[in-house]
Amino acid sequence: MSYVRQVYAIIWKDLLLELRTRERIAAMGAFAVLAGVLFNYATDQTIVRPQDVAAGLIWMTLVFGGLLGIGRTFHLEAQDGAFQGVLTSPAPKDAIFLGKTLANFVLLFVVSLLVVAVFMLFFRLELGSNPGMLVLTLALGALGFVALGTLFSAVSSGTHMGETLLPILVFPLLVPMVIYGVSATSRLFADRPVAEVAGNLRMLGAFAVLGVAAGAVLFRYVVEE
Amino acid sequence: MEAVTASAPVTQGVEPVLSARGLVREYGAVVAVDGIDLDLAPGDFLTIFGPNGAGKTSLLSLLGGRLKPTRGEVVIGGQRLDFGETSWRSRIGVLSHQGFLYAHLTVEENLRFFGRLFDLPDLDRRIPERLEQVGLADRASFLSRQLSHGMRQRLALARALLHDPEVVLLDEPYTGLDPYAASVLRNVLSSLHDGRRTVVMVTHNLTQGLELSNRVAIQVRGAFAWEGPRERIDAADFERFYHHVVEDGRE
Repeated sequence: MSYVRQVYAIIWKDLLLELRTRERIAAMGAFAVLAGVLFNYATDQTIVRPQDVAAGLIWMTLVFGGLLGIGRTFHLEAQDGAFQGVLTSPAPKDAIFLGKTLANFVLLFVVSLLVVAVFMLFFRLELGSNPGMLVLTLALGALGFVALGTLFSAVSSGTHMGETLLPILVFPLLVPMVIYGVSATSRLFADRPVAEVAGNLRMLGAFAVLGVAAGAVLFRYVVEE
Repeated sequence: MEAVTASAPVTQGVEPVLSARGLVREYGAVVAVDGIDLDLAPGDFLTIFGPNGAGKTSLLSLLGGRLKPTRGEVVIGGQRLDFGETSWRSRIGVLSHQGFLYAHLTVEENLRFFGRLFDLPDLDRRIPERLEQVGLADRASFLSRQLSHGMRQRLALARALLHDPEVVLLDEPYTGLDPYAASVLRNVLSSLHDGRRTVVMVTHNLTQGLELSNRVAIQVRGAFAWEGPRERIDAADFERFYHHVVEDGRE
């Protein structure tokens, strides 16, 4: 029970800090809207059908916008040595990792819904007959992303290069998420049968489970001196 | 006062609550802590003096389990610090020169957060008690960034004591405090002298360092160049003695 309470403490604190500072959600949200506007003008919709390119652009916006926020996961933690205080507590490192990952997941999931809404507006997309599957696709992709993003944000925050190192570390690992996320999203926008996206969802689920498990195991080696 | 290089137990004849054996911490070729042995009993208040770069903060970090030793071990209440298992952390309270506080959380929220991490029961009772103890009861709803430096330091002390630890580690607690804030903090620290808590304090301030301690050590180049009971020190002549020990230790 104490493990759950410790995970909850981290989630509560991270979301409360975000509510007070709006440091990350504002950056990610603004990026999502602006990227939607720019991609709208960057795509000649008389030649390319919007629904053919929208899924790829949605996921690339999520990746770039998400990194803006996830990369600053440990920014507020560095002030006044606050994270050192967390590390002096008996909370297991994997509980700390899970708490931070779940808090990041909430933020990125909200942003991913915003991204989809913006692209639906500018690319005149139809939601299709399975909006729940689209939400599940976004949720699984976001969970895998934040797991790896949180882990490598901890790595990069301890280096001289800081946040600039994060994309170099994370982008190669996000390839499976982009492949299966784009594939599932484009099929759902095309209103294809659910059976056609089930495999993609399984792969996104496996990616998320692997990301969370790897992060939970490796996080302690990243934060311990 | 006679300068001696000592590695003998600090307290003899009493079951130690905090022990270190052959503690070494290296950063590449630099040896920050060099073979420290230590035994402290409940009620002991050890002040560690030393010049900049002597390894005092590294030693405190090793004793608190914030750093892994290169060699040697730390034992708290018979429990060897094992980095794979973290329950021993609830026996230690740490006050660093950083507050370990979240600027955008209120005083009460900071304590509630750390209380949950320590899985403490009765936070609704415990938090007001600690705030009363450090004189911040009327500031509970203030964001910690709205507090003065002295108040933040007292809040940091409340955080360090929230879980009622057996061992309290203080790293330069008086840094940056005005005389009034320092006297308030001193009163709170003197309340730790309750015979059941073990305190280790690192400081540059010779006067404040001697005030509360019953054990004293002078660390030079990672090792204790002198250690002994407070009674062996003549406070009026301590500055000259300290410089003498530091010079000897550097040679």
